Amino acid sequence: MDYTTLLLQFVFFPGFLFTAVVGLVTSWIDRKVTARVQMRVGPPFLQPFYDIIKLMFKETIIPSGSPRLLFLSAPLLGLSGATLASFILWRILLNPGQSFMGDLIVLLYLLTLPAVAAILGSFASQNPLASLGGSREMKLIIAYELPFVLALLVPIIKAQSMRLGEILAFGSLLPSASGVLALIVSILCMQAKLTLVPFDLPEAETELTGGAFIEYSGPPLGLFKLTKAMMLFILPMFLVCVFWGGIHFAGGWNSMLLGFLKYIALIVIIVLIRNTAPRVRIDQAVTFFWGPVTGMSVIAILLAFWGW
Amino acid sequence: MEFIHHPFIQPMLLPLAGGLLCFLIPRAWSRVCGWLAVLISAATCYLVWPLFLAAPQILDLAPAISLKIDKLSGFILLLTAIFAFLISLYSVGYIRQPEQQKPYFTYFLWTLAAAVGVLLANELILLLCFWGFLGLTLYLLIALNGPQASSAAKKTFIIIGASDSIFILGIAFFGLLTGSTRMDGPAVPLNHPHTYIALAAFIVAAFAKAGVMPFHSWVPDCGEKALLPVSAFLPASLDKFLGIYLLLRTAKDLFVLTTAVNLVLLLAGASTVLLAVMLALVQHDLKRLLSYHAVSQVGYMVLGIGTGLPIGMAGSLFHMLNNAVYKSALFLCAGAVESQTQTADMDKLGGLAKAMPLTFITCLVASLSIAGIPPLNGFVSKWMVYQGLIESGSTFYGSWIIWLAVAILGSALTLASFVKVLHAVFLTKAADTVRSKTIREVGWRQTLPMLVLSLACLLFGMFAYRLPLAGFIYPALRQEVVYPGIWWAGPAAFLMGLGIMMGFIFSLLAGKGKTRIAPTYIGGETLAGEVQVTGVDFYHTYQSLSLLKRFYRLAESKWFDVYDAASKIIFYFVELLRSLHTGRLPLYLIWVLCGLVLLLFLLLH
Repeated sequence: MDYTTLLLQFVFFPGFLFTAVVGLVTSWIDRKVTARVQMRVGPPFLQPFYDIIKLMFKETIIPSGSPRLLFLSAPLLGLSGATLASFILWRILLNPGQSFMGDLIVLLYLLTLPAVAAILGSFASQNPLASLGGSREMKLIIAYELPFVLALLVPIIKAQSMRLGEILAFGSLLPSASGVLALIVSILCMQAKLTLVPFDLPEAETELTGGAFIEYSGPPLGLFKLTKAMMLFILPMFLVCVFWGGIHFAGGWNSMLLGFLKYIALIVIIVLIRNTAPRVRIDQAVTFFWGPVTGMSVIAILLAFWGW
Repeated sequence: MEFIHHPFIQPMLLPLAGGLLCFLIPRAWSRVCGWLAVLISAATCYLVWPLFLAAPQILDLAPAISLKIDKLSGFILLLTAIFAFLISLYSVGYIRQPEQQKPYFTYFLWTLAAAVGVLLANELILLLCFWGFLGLTLYLLIALNGPQASSAAKKTFIIIGASDSIFILGIAFFGLLTGSTRMDGPAVPLNHPHTYIALAAFIVAAFAKAGVMPFHSWVPDCGEKALLPVSAFLPASLDKFLGIYLLLRTAKDLFVLTTAVNLVLLLAGASTVLLAVMLALVQHDLKRLLSYHAVSQVGYMVLGIGTGLPIGMAGSLFHMLNNAVYKSALFLCAGAVESQTQTADMDKLGGLAKAMPLTFITCLVASLSIAGIPPLNGFVSKWMVYQGLIESGSTFYGSWIIWLAVAILGSALTLASFVKVLHAVFLTKAADTVRSKTIREVGWRQTLPMLVLSLACLLFGMFAYRLPLAGFIYPALRQEVVYPGIWWAGPAAFLMGLGIMMGFIFSLLAGKGKTRIAPTYIGGETLAGEVQVTGVDFYHTYQSLSLLKRFYRLAESKWFDVYDAASKIIFYFVELLRSLHTGRLPLYLIWVLCGLVLLLFLLLH
């Protein structure tokens, strides 16, 4: 493939623009449902777009004494990692037969890039609250990485391949007990990866006043927000692909609708958890992920090993 | 004497002669030594280049002196020479005290000569001679840093020396079994208990050199106490090359490994990855922290070799190269920081990103690379090792799941550890000790090697397949490498780089460059200078978890230190023997009498 097509696809479809638009729409759903749960009206449909666009034209405030280059490029690192992950995922979803750019482990690493970017950006802010936020983000990564990796090994064991195309071809894991357990584990990890309540420790608005992002403003803040919205689209889609058979575009409208419903189901779960749980402390989060969640993923692996 | 001109002998003789010259140069001229070492290591690179390109060949000079070059040793030979050049250049800027310069560069060049010897030897006894000589120069180099380094030097010498003695035992058994100590014979199958002893001895020697647990404990001590270029050259790069070289030779050419042996390797690799990184996480001294990572990273290489598959071995070799690149870069950064601030204690550092931008960029790139952030080089080699583990599948009774999970968790912990380094050293507000001085960037002799290495991190990641893998690693393995996974390193790096560029331009245009610099916001209050988050204690949360608390307590009581454990056992027996020496003559006479009775009994029996 030549680089021009690759670049165009990366920028427009199914790369950046597509992911950004769908991500922002998803974030609208999240905000709307949250508002309804809290007996509010909620924002209009285009509100997330307004927010991002408005931030893009605002002034950037740089904290004095911070290394400017890192402070400004950190959000871009996260954004490009998320975009690349989404690009790879969708290219394979659209052409399941073709091998393309990356496999499951590549995606696992790319999906941590937004978190790494948030940590670097927060550390470059020279603010003690941001430092605490960044360190919590890091501790959260360590906490959920182990069960998340173990859960992702279940499809690798089942499909006997680490290529996404072959995992998609293997189909849904949900009829099996191990698949269900692994999906539950990864939904919990996804909540932490998205840093949503109850795992919103890095930002923790009431205690760290925005934590990792406290010093950010203008376009860099907009890019961080956009990355978060995109992750809200990419991560559930990733889980749908890996555990739940993905979306089949070749099978007509019915199968596409079915795939779409799977994605919506995961979004509903995310929003429900986020609106019903209180924020935990970092040590509670760590013991939760390293204790029961890892235990569950180990059981899932053992079950998968015995062919369940 | 015509063998002196042989291309095999020259790269050995040149550094040897250069070292001798440094040794003989009068004191007053000791400043010349540094540049002499740079020149000689550059010349060694030049001499080694044809050997790297040459077809595999053997040179028999005398019955016990046989030399050999093949693609594996050629590759490592070239790496050794290049790293010697970069680090000698750095050392010229770093080692300023005249009384250190002369011995430092002498031992440095002799180390290079001995390393070339190890790599060219085709005879185990010859290899052992060079190997032992390396242990000696390592001891001398560490001990150079004055009395504070003497205990670290002693510890290193004892661990390396003990492993060398075990190595001799292994060679004896090997010779006994095969009838020769040449390394180009057929691989020995493991069908006799003696073969297992020989194999175990070889593995111990390789592990001690490379710093695999439980023979790792000299590396952190050396890293903390020795002169910095010593740790950047020896434990971080050269000793890894040689240890992995010996391990790979053992696993591929000398013995036919069985599943059980592979499992032992996997276990050693995985525990090294995890335990060392857990220990690194809580260190306060920058150099000690880096050394624990130098230990942890070897774990990945051992894991790769343990799989026994071409993809795992290729990943292991590539990781060896990458580790040398980013770990030397990190050590050199630590040296730059230490030489400008006179401390490596992370509690006392901070805010150096603005004062030392080049050091910061190098450290950032190398940190992201060691943490395996795509598209940098560390990611590619780790990903290859992971594939080896997955591919090994049912061979090891499904244990690959444990090794893989440990390896990926280790990678996340590495990220955590380096995030802490970046925060504590470069990004947080400057500590008082740092603020009171005017700190400037180090000179070009130090920044140049650092920048070259960080550029290598980038290029080896982007052009992984074309540059290092096709150029060095596939030929060295002589096996076809099949990738079960997919990673288009070049296009992915291109897209990510371009994405960052476009985003940068876009946000500049959109914001019309409207920027303002303002003080940080901390709830509307101004904090005094002493209120500071250094970041060194970020991971206290883990230390206080009940399971890990016990681990850290064991580590504090040196439970994982084979040196300490062995010395306890030895001192126990020494105490027993000492209790016999009371200084009372009658008691000695009784012992003599007992001995005589025993002798008589044995002789007459």
